[in-house]
Amino acid sequence: MADGKLTVGMQLEPFVIESVDPQRMKTMVAILRDPNPIHYDTEVTRRLGLGDRPVNQGPINLTWMVEAVARFAGGPKRLRDIEVRFLGNVFAGERFECTGRVSSIDAAAGTAEIEVTATADGRDVLSGTATVAVGGQ
Amino acid sequence: MRQDYTHLVGHRFPGGTYTLPAWLCWLWADTAELPADEHVAHPALAYFVAMQGVGVTIQDIFDLMDATADSGVMFGECRLLWRRPLSPGATYRCEGRIIEVERKQGRRAGVFDKMSFEVTMTEQGQSDPAAECVNTWVFPRGMGEG
Repeated sequence: MADGKLTVGMQLEPFVIESVDPQRMKTMVAILRDPNPIHYDTEVTRRLGLGDRPVNQGPINLTWMVEAVARFAGGPKRLRDIEVRFLGNVFAGERFECTGRVSSIDAAAGTAEIEVTATADGRDVLSGTATVAVGGQ
Repeated sequence: MRQDYTHLVGHRFPGGTYTLPAWLCWLWADTAELPADEHVAHPALAYFVAMQGVGVTIQDIFDLMDATADSGVMFGECRLLWRRPLSPGATYRCEGRIIEVERKQGRRAGVFDKMSFEVTMTEQGQSDPAAECVNTWVFPRGMGEG
């Protein structure tokens, strides 16, 4: 969590998953009732030219980016919105890292805008923009 | 497969209600390797509540777009907007519609359709939505088409 007043340029504490777990993808398949086999069947990922590892679900990647912003902002109650673009796949076994910085502050609205990015083994996989409440909002 | 899916713009999903179980909130957090909060659902669950409450499955959306489960459909973009945190055990009324369909061609991706749909989630007993979700999914249509 960011202590005290947010300022433009302030950096988020990096959010890191050291090794994306393929077993958890299977749980998410069941939760989402997601029929897409790229999350559990490596025969399909190979056929689609995606390699021999399952692909992490977008909602898990989204959850990690939201988590990084929420921790920085001081909890989920301070989140206002987030817009995330999925730039690439996150594969099992990869290192996921989300970082970001405060890009602007709207004192009148009591909000800050945060630019966030995420990488998987160094490749850009997500980018986003979030708005969070600051001060007593 | 059609060449144009813009007729789907404005298509309303059946809608409905969804009660967010506390156990699901725990399981979602655990699956994402995060600690669960028994009082506040993870904010990303707005995506899940939207999908559960709007009255269609992922497969139903694939069917609307004439896509199969193994055709390489991808999550393109997601916008979540929160007016208040989601609560474990709360019931949400969900309403959704398709807002945009666009055919595009990329150098590497070939021909694909981008389809966006929005869902609003209103907690039972409230008049204004607690959260909104706009998803954009990408449907590959193969190389060299169009």
